[in-house]
Amino acid sequence: MRHVLAIAFLILPLPVLAGPVDDVLDHHILPRLERLASETALLSTVAEQHCDGPSALLQAAFNRSVDAWIGGSHLRFGPSEEENRAFALAFWPDSRGLTPRSLTVLLTQEDPIGLDPVAYREMSIAARGFYALEFLIFDPDISTSGSEAYRCVLIQTVAADIAYTSMEIYDDWVSRYADLMRNAGENDRYQSEDEAVRALLGALSTGLEFTADMRLGRPLGTFDRPQPQRAEMRRSERSLANVRESIAALGELAVLLAGENDPLSANLSIAFARAISRADIIDDPDFSGVAMPGQRVRIEALQRQVRDLRELVNTQLAPELGVAAGFNSLDGD
Amino acid sequence: MVSRRQLLTGLLATGMVPRVTWADVGNPAFLSAARDQSGAYALYGLSHTGARLFRVDLPSRGHSGAAHPFRPEAVAFARRPGTFAMVLNCAAGTVTAQIEAPAGRHFYGHGAFSLDGSRLYTTENDYDAARGRVGIWDAQNGYVRIGEVSSGGVGPHEMLRLPGQDVFAVANGGIETHPEMGRQMLNIPFMRPNLSYLSADGDLLGQVELPEDFRKNSIRHLAAASDGQIAFAMQWHGSNETHPPLLGLHRLGQQAPLLISAPEDRQRQMQGYAGSVAMNANGSLVAVSSPRGGVLHLFSAAEAAFERAEFLEDICGLGPSGLGVFSTSGTGHVARVEAGALSPLRHHPVNWDNHLTALPQS
Repeated sequence: MRHVLAIAFLILPLPVLAGPVDDVLDHHILPRLERLASETALLSTVAEQHCDGPSALLQAAFNRSVDAWIGGSHLRFGPSEEENRAFALAFWPDSRGLTPRSLTVLLTQEDPIGLDPVAYREMSIAARGFYALEFLIFDPDISTSGSEAYRCVLIQTVAADIAYTSMEIYDDWVSRYADLMRNAGENDRYQSEDEAVRALLGALSTGLEFTADMRLGRPLGTFDRPQPQRAEMRRSERSLANVRESIAALGELAVLLAGENDPLSANLSIAFARAISRADIIDDPDFSGVAMPGQRVRIEALQRQVRDLRELVNTQLAPELGVAAGFNSLDGD
Repeated sequence: MVSRRQLLTGLLATGMVPRVTWADVGNPAFLSAARDQSGAYALYGLSHTGARLFRVDLPSRGHSGAAHPFRPEAVAFARRPGTFAMVLNCAAGTVTAQIEAPAGRHFYGHGAFSLDGSRLYTTENDYDAARGRVGIWDAQNGYVRIGEVSSGGVGPHEMLRLPGQDVFAVANGGIETHPEMGRQMLNIPFMRPNLSYLSADGDLLGQVELPEDFRKNSIRHLAAASDGQIAFAMQWHGSNETHPPLLGLHRLGQQAPLLISAPEDRQRQMQGYAGSVAMNANGSLVAVSSPRGGVLHLFSAAEAAFERAEFLEDICGLGPSGLGVFSTSGTGHVARVEAGALSPLRHHPVNWDNHLTALPQS
């Protein structure tokens, strides 16, 4: 019997059991967070020279940084969860309007905390991060409120704070967290490779859910009561761009997770590419079209497609990765 | 406050000598919602040994139920953010009323009856204002809505009545959601859960919050012992690198809640998520389940100490069962766990849903 097995092992190619964790780290997480750190460092440098809202250079640097953030915003575990870092970069949705309110207070009172990037780390997260910076650069009221000199320094402070937080996230991944995932099974955080895979799959699935429910669902509201004013980053006309960017990043993660299962990885690539082309035919950068039936249909169709992507991930990719979908464990209530 | 006279007239109105009681449907011990193999949803009555006593169809996925104190009548709540609840006659297997949440409100999936059975209380979301509400319904007259009061916080989830009195404990999870955005959580950085105690008329009798470090621990589910001891189960929304306590004990009038955890290596098995909580009949044993970790943790209430873990895939529903607890799993298993061991009772070809509702025993 032992001989038979030994021969079988000699003849049959051994299945490659290397999991997708290394690939996801090397081709998705680390490069994307490195890009976030370098783009935001550049943003901070540009802000030092060009701190007035209408500056084309500042706006371009803002856009590149937000692209980088959106492309890694689904990685909400580990380093980005420590010390509220992800919230410090991205406090959205802001259902109570805390961001404009706290910025207005800073600008009108010229609070000295706005002049000091180190002190600013203690500031309420509502006044920090990309969404606060968007108000300072693009909002007609906030971008003209208070004195020009204070506003300029506040923009520099917020940009420097964003760059610092982004660098911390990247550093924490490089110096610590990536190894915890790579060496799953040899540390307490990830006691098996399955746990690491589950965390990555969770990021993919909740990332898709966030894009469908929030980036698309918030402005869609209901047919009778559309909510265009709730669209993410509508002031910088990035609402659609953010959706597109997030689908592209999540598609990359999905395909890497599918690993060497070629049919599945082809299925996923096609499905994500279809969703991206559906986003491309929408000519409505700030989603103000949710209130117009013709445009609304297209935005709703995109939302359905993102939900279908999540379904595809949960029903095809998750079982492939051996992640059981329990009736209650998935329910979350 | 409900006066003694009101209580008595209430009892008379519902029939002091009820024509049909829970005994007439075989004295079920628990109610639980489930999905069957055909994909249909229903509410089931289960005996103490896990036998199926009755089944009533539900139109969609259920979450939890509330049992009338003596009529064999149950209210089955839709899964959050559902806007309906069905009143079921468990003897006839029929729906006797359908409750609709008023405009601008949805149910959270839990509720409780008053001591005399005359009123039903439901946890609700006033979502445009992000305020937790408790809806009050007239259980004697076709479940018309009588009014609503503050739940004492944001995102109320489970509420229950303390045994033998008209005092309600409400788990205000602290999480703001809006049905237009599914179950997305809108206020994690600022969430502030609490455990509130309400009178029958909605007066706030007491309220406790968690220490600052545990502010992201959503208080969701509750169990009560006959002496008024409350056990609450939490769901962690902070860093996944820490494994905070997910179980707390409190008694109305006490200052701070007592938070209890298993040793670190055990606590991490829960994956930051307690799905249900139960106490045994004399309140000496507390159990919390984690369907994500497929694990049940048992604690001694008196010593506030971890006793041991039992592993059961997709375990969630828990209820009191003598000196132990009764459990259901999404895999269809029904089991009893006593101080010494876990005994599988039965397997049904259904997916048992999150919660068991313990029924009054005659």
